[in-house]
Amino acid sequence: MRPVASLALLLAVATLASCAWAPPRPWEKGELAKPAMQFDADRLESRIQEHVYQSKEAASGGYGVGGGGCGCN
Amino acid sequence: MAAALALPGVVPAGAAAQSIPDEGRVELRYLDYRDWQSGADRMRVKSPSFHVMKPFAGTWIAEGGLVYDGMSGASPRFHNTLSGASGEGVRDYRTAGDVKLTRYFDRYAVGVGAAVSSERDYLSRAVSVDFRWWTDDRNTTLAFGFAGSSDRIDPVNEVVVGRKRHTLDFLVGVTQAVNANAILQSNLTVSRGHGYYDDPYKSLDTRPDHRRVVAWLTRWNQSIPAADATLRLAFRVLRDSFGSTSFMTEAQWVQTLPAGFTVTPGLRYLTQSAADFYRDPPFPTGFRPGEPYSADTRLSAFGAFTPSLKIAKSFERGWTADLRVDFHRQRGSWRLGGDGSPGVEPFSARWIQGGVSKSF
Repeated sequence: MRPVASLALLLAVATLASCAWAPPRPWEKGELAKPAMQFDADRLESRIQEHVYQSKEAASGGYGVGGGGCGCN
Repeated sequence: MAAALALPGVVPAGAAAQSIPDEGRVELRYLDYRDWQSGADRMRVKSPSFHVMKPFAGTWIAEGGLVYDGMSGASPRFHNTLSGASGEGVRDYRTAGDVKLTRYFDRYAVGVGAAVSSERDYLSRAVSVDFRWWTDDRNTTLAFGFAGSSDRIDPVNEVVVGRKRHTLDFLVGVTQAVNANAILQSNLTVSRGHGYYDDPYKSLDTRPDHRRVVAWLTRWNQSIPAADATLRLAFRVLRDSFGSTSFMTEAQWVQTLPAGFTVTPGLRYLTQSAADFYRDPPFPTGFRPGEPYSADTRLSAFGAFTPSLKIAKSFERGWTADLRVDFHRQRGSWRLGGDGSPGVEPFSARWIQGGVSKSF
């Protein structure tokens, strides 16, 4: 991984998070509970997307581990 | 080996998944995929899939899935021994299944899973363990995952027989509720494998027998109550020991509409450099006996855009239905910050998927 790009991403994420940092209290989590706010709420759709890209690009990763292999790449 | 559908993964859960779901969920999905180059159809895949998740005994979740891929056509142009041009078109199928069991405790959850995938010329088996721990206020979740897979390759052209590939995957991730309207997830995955990585259906294809892929994915979901919408952002940096580095960014806008509808336009962009041993056309330029070599265009340098559109509707009694269309196009000239690999034809694909789910 290129150090400059990784550092730039880290700084961008840290800056964004620190500017918006105000962790919610239990009664403030209504928006966070909405389906659209979940990561990978639709498992089958996420799997299809990840695997189509895996078969079209040089490599894949980041979303999870444990899927095992296939002959598509 | 041309199969093009998904296997399960240990996916770090969002902040809402720190407690066991109240309801089970069953989903059916159907994928229709095709790709082409310069007006010539290449691969076509039709794939139904199924997934079910059910909580039980108060602290457990069982889930599992099945998928079937039926594919036909030809792989991208150049030097394929199985291709429409050679008269030996690809016709294959894949069946795969997975199961996972998760136990929830007060401040953490532990899951174990297993998966198997079988093609005519490829068999893969995998096991996984994941651990999630969350803070007392449930605003921060740490995820750790470990998986191992063992693959066996028996190509139909018998250029090799019974070759193996073993892979270990590691994940560490954090999910953070940033504020009442934003949630962040950042995952680092490391995949280390050894064994047979050549493509037996591509002439002269010889790749290293070890591979390490490091990927850093960060996602940010931002609720925008004034617009009754959600902005979903993702960015990934990936480094492959084969020599390729890629950057991916994606944005989706989830717009809530009346009558239970949502519409989600999206755009994804990927740019990647070529693998060290990739050689541009004309085939077999750059081939040297005894050295790694591949003309697989997936290992070339290119950029790719994928616009998408999804429409979903929620019905009474826990039913939902959705339809999603993605259009994908790769070009060497779309690579960011420099020229892509020359001589590679633009590649296009589109896939349509429809799903129905029911909570119970």
